[in-house]
Amino acid sequence: MARDVLIDLQHITKVFPPDTVALSDVSVSFESGEIHALVGENGAGKSTLMKVFYGLERRDAGDIFFKGAKVEFRTPREAISAGIGMVHQEILLIPEYTVWQNIVLGAEPVRAFGTIDAHKAREAVRQRIEEFQFNLDPDALVGDISVAARQKVEILKLLYRNVSVLVLDEPTAVLTPQEIPQLFAELARLRDKGHTIIFISHRLDEVLTLSDRVTVMRHGKIVGTSAASGLTKEDLARQMVGREVLFTSRRQPQEPGEIVFRARELNCNDTEHRARLRDATVEVRAGEIVGVAGVEGNGQFELVNAIMGLASMTSGTLDVMGKDITHADILTRRTLIAFVPQDRGKMGASVAASILEDAIMTHHVLDPRFRTWRGLGLDYRHAAEFVDQIREQFTVSMGHSSDPFRSLSGGNQQKVILGRELLLETPFVLMDQPTRGLDVGSIEYVHQLLLNLRSRKRAVLLVSADLDELFMVADRIVVMCQGEVVVDLATDATSREEVGYYMLGGKEAAHAETGS
Amino acid sequence: MNVLFGLVSAMVVGATPILLAAIGGTFTFYAGIFNIAMEGMMLVGAFCAVLGSFFLHSWFLGILCAVAGALIMAGIFVLFAVRLHTDEFLTGIALNLFAVGLTTFLLRDIFHVKGAFTDAGIRAIPAVKLPLIDGIPFLGRLLSGYNAIVYVALLVTVLSAFVIFRTRFGLRLRGAGYNAACLSSSGVPASTIRIWSLIVCAVCCGLAGAYLSLGYVRLFAENMSAGRGWISLTAVILVSGNPWGIAIISLLFGFFDGLTVFLQGSRIPTQFTAMIPYVATLVSLYLYSVRKRRQA
Repeated sequence: MARDVLIDLQHITKVFPPDTVALSDVSVSFESGEIHALVGENGAGKSTLMKVFYGLERRDAGDIFFKGAKVEFRTPREAISAGIGMVHQEILLIPEYTVWQNIVLGAEPVRAFGTIDAHKAREAVRQRIEEFQFNLDPDALVGDISVAARQKVEILKLLYRNVSVLVLDEPTAVLTPQEIPQLFAELARLRDKGHTIIFISHRLDEVLTLSDRVTVMRHGKIVGTSAASGLTKEDLARQMVGREVLFTSRRQPQEPGEIVFRARELNCNDTEHRARLRDATVEVRAGEIVGVAGVEGNGQFELVNAIMGLASMTSGTLDVMGKDITHADILTRRTLIAFVPQDRGKMGASVAASILEDAIMTHHVLDPRFRTWRGLGLDYRHAAEFVDQIREQFTVSMGHSSDPFRSLSGGNQQKVILGRELLLETPFVLMDQPTRGLDVGSIEYVHQLLLNLRSRKRAVLLVSADLDELFMVADRIVVMCQGEVVVDLATDATSREEVGYYMLGGKEAAHAETGS
Repeated sequence: MNVLFGLVSAMVVGATPILLAAIGGTFTFYAGIFNIAMEGMMLVGAFCAVLGSFFLHSWFLGILCAVAGALIMAGIFVLFAVRLHTDEFLTGIALNLFAVGLTTFLLRDIFHVKGAFTDAGIRAIPAVKLPLIDGIPFLGRLLSGYNAIVYVALLVTVLSAFVIFRTRFGLRLRGAGYNAACLSSSGVPASTIRIWSLIVCAVCCGLAGAYLSLGYVRLFAENMSAGRGWISLTAVILVSGNPWGIAIISLLFGFFDGLTVFLQGSRIPTQFTAMIPYVATLVSLYLYSVRKRRQA
């Protein structure tokens, strides 16, 4: 399969002032008509490399060749007119406009007096939808369609401008697992029609399924390029992280202790008086990790909010270490519960605040160390020491503690939150999707942390959409469906198939088979 | 019957400057600019109209001067809010204050009068008798014989609805307001579209100003825009920029404005009658928010 080299990046170097080397002497070439995956951990330089190529970032050294000629794109517009289009992680469309309006915006066909030739535009868009089998309604409002469909609109917008090279920056990050195969089928069709696709990702399964060749990056350097067919997930992970990564359970057998956390028959309604939790009952013992599985939107979020006192329950009781917290205020709960919420940037931390401020949240009221002037002031010396403690124990790579929280990478943000919560030294730990959006190395770290908590006899309730994760670390898996805890399974005695079966509402069927 | 005709004519006369300024404001509204400088643009327009009309002996050149004056104001807005990224709200406030100070100063410096300048040398914008319609007994009296700018305002309204919703410029204009980053990434710099929206706004406000000083009356008085720019802003926000909605709101305001003039002869103290338009604006804001809450 001797394909032509279409894009050749040579010796690209990019330094973010003052001294962050994002790309160091990166050389990589992309062949025409291939799907080429660019993988690496967050911060490895994949996106930066593509932004340099696309004219969104200046480079400090290196040359770019496209179709054999040296090129220089100063703006994305120049790249697009050369035939290269990039779909970014965040979708940039106008929800108030229809699909076809969004696609033609900036390149509209017009008639006399500058009126838009709606018929011609719609027809052109419809034609492309058909050609690439995108299954979209050109007249639908973008605000009404799913995220997956919006992503297709973004791709179509570039195809409408006749690009032959598509760069996709983590396109699956915003998709649900059901939507991913469809996108992949569409991308494969595009390749078969002669388009070249550069696909940035850190999800290894996807990379292996979709791509023809894979280039791995680490710390701003190229580790290597190889054909995807001969690679395994373990190979890729090793190249990305620079060491072996384990994808199997390291859970040691351990007898759980006393019951630490108990939620009994929780009921909770939403604002429209629909039941979101129905008699949900969960128990967690010391030295035990209990996983909560379920299709998203089946009461997991409400369960977490009810436990933290963020949602009011209509009935039910909660206790931790025998202490009734059903009606306790949030601060009282926080003395007993460490909580890692699913949304890092909104509930887990204030991204505009400094790392130090985020690190001492909750601690500043619970821990007398941080108080001066009878609680009127904050002891910044102790706070800075505390940040150093988090940095060392949780291996956070960060600048100064006064830097804004948003300057940290996703993995490091999560480490700061984990550090803050786990240093509360509470008997019960509640984690809601703690590894969502993290890269391989960080996920492995979080799993190790969970297992350490377990061996230190803490009780952990782990809500996760990732079944692999639950099977790797949880002792028991409870499945939620329509607000009910439908089943409680020992991880070692169940299978993904069984859990999936209960997630999809198989409870009644199961009763019928085994029951009277 | 005469009362009815009088009220209709007062309504149209009162509505015209609001309508023009609001149509201007709707362009910047769609382009995503929080533009509150209509008041200042209108005031400068009114002054420049008198200036042009008096010295150049032509109402038409007066109108051109009004538009030019308003365009200079828009230029300042572009320089600060679009180019230098200062706060749009603060820029608008500064421009409005600047307009009051500037026109008052120039009134005293050029015409050597305080309060108001009126002179027989100021050429007014003529009224237009519509051919054909003027001859029809009832309709003629209702529709014909207004100041030329009134018909221009009508034309501008229809034209703006067409431009905003049917043309390429309109699609990009609204795109700039909905999501500027998206528009820019589609190859059309949002700032260019915003500059154009401000230019359109200035032309409309200039016309409104010329109407105030050369149509409504034939003089320039200090601060003679008297809050009409603000009311036009209210109209734009109330109907989320829809030109037809703006026309209705402007007529409503014109009606209350006309009522003010009408009730001046009655026993109600003028301080109260003069309040009517402003109270009506507040009441309509209230009713609007109540309706909106019910919908939500």
